[in-house]
Amino acid sequence: MSAESLPTYSVRELNNAIGVLLERGFAPRFAIQATASRPQVKKGHLWLTLSDGDASITGVAWASKLKQLDFVPADGDGVTVIGRLNFWSARASLAVQVLDMRPSLTTVLRRFETVKAQLLEEGVIDPGRRRKLPAYPKRLAVLTSVPSSALADMLRTAQERWPLSELLVVPIPVQGEVAPIICGVLSRLAEQHHQLRLDAIVLARGGGSREDLMVFDDADVCRILASFPLPVVTGLGHEDDLTVADLVADHRAATPTAAMVTLMPSKESAQQTISQRRTRLSEYKRWRLEQASSRLKERHLQLHTLRPAVALQHRRNQWEQRQQLLLALSPQRWLSRGFAMLHTANGQPVQSIDDICLNEQVHIRLKDGVVQAITKTIQANESSDSQASL
Amino acid sequence: MPRKKPEPSKTSEQDTWKEDASQLSYEEALQALDVLLGQLQDDSIPLADLQKNHARASIYLDRCDLLLSQVEQSVRQLDPNTMEERTLDTSNNE
Repeated sequence: MSAESLPTYSVRELNNAIGVLLERGFAPRFAIQATASRPQVKKGHLWLTLSDGDASITGVAWASKLKQLDFVPADGDGVTVIGRLNFWSARASLAVQVLDMRPSLTTVLRRFETVKAQLLEEGVIDPGRRRKLPAYPKRLAVLTSVPSSALADMLRTAQERWPLSELLVVPIPVQGEVAPIICGVLSRLAEQHHQLRLDAIVLARGGGSREDLMVFDDADVCRILASFPLPVVTGLGHEDDLTVADLVADHRAATPTAAMVTLMPSKESAQQTISQRRTRLSEYKRWRLEQASSRLKERHLQLHTLRPAVALQHRRNQWEQRQQLLLALSPQRWLSRGFAMLHTANGQPVQSIDDICLNEQVHIRLKDGVVQAITKTIQANESSDSQASL
Repeated sequence: MPRKKPEPSKTSEQDTWKEDASQLSYEEALQALDVLLGQLQDDSIPLADLQKNHARASIYLDRCDLLLSQVEQSVRQLDPNTMEERTLDTSNNE
């Protein structure tokens, strides 16, 4: 084959032809999953090598695009790149021009574990530091993207649940390399929470992929959240998503809506409480009045018992009882049964032979009269020494 | 003999209570109510104060009821840079 029969190019023509071929043969945009190696910014452009272990290709994000990227990888980070082929015909060099770049799930989870371990060591993550949430928050700051469906859901839930709380919506970016912005907002809020009369803050972001929540794994954001002077509630992503911010918050709610439910009391249950209190109030009043009335009745009864006629009758009864007793104990009862009582002439009772002398006058009292007698003899009982007889 | 200070009429006393209650938040009104309920349970309180405490507790109850019937939530927006409050604007993303 002679050289004349072959297509002949100048180098420039060849490179241009390759360029045209590549342009025609490739989709204008494609996705590529790779590991980012040696990322470095030169003259404002980000250069990196995209590889999968077996092959590699240069990638570049131009300075204008780099500013818009939500994520800039570190060396070894897994990435998903949306790009197009970029061919420089002058040097026949090829690169993937980065149009968008996101971290892979592996990268996100690895960063989560790294920051979590770091903050655990620093004592920033400490379940023991969790504070109690206010029972009836008067004013809440809600940090989230505005507008967003998450915010709409939260406002609706708050309205249904506890319209008494004032909400202060603080717009923040919630995706990408926005950690410094969030840190700035949190710091300003922390400084001014007294003036703003806040009771707690909610940090929320609606659903999306776990990769979208990467900013909430930022160590600085989490440190500020942990040291925030008010209780912090997070409602980030879906129920299964766990970020480091969730670990440092005072309460982690599964979703933005759940965060509002957590922080706000239920209007229905409060209405029930009020209804119960109303019942108690009327019951207490009735009970106190009944108690007072019952005491009054007791006093009435006491007063009735103590009135003069009743008291007189009572005393009369007592007198009669004593009279009966006295009668029962009277000496007359003994005389009527045949016993006699002996007295000396001067009325002294004679109980012993020692109380009387011979020829002394004595009075013998019987049941129906008195006999006067003179002692003739005095005789003691067998056991007695003295003897006497009448 | 010193002249007895005239006691405030029931109406003016109740008006004062109502005015005071109107300044209270739900939680404060509920707390005030619970204190009075506790006193009503305590039979050392003079009977003369019963009606007074009951009336005052009813005012706090009404305050709680009124607050619960509030339908419009106050939602404001805080400028993340200046920390100044303004009306919520959901038309543009920050």
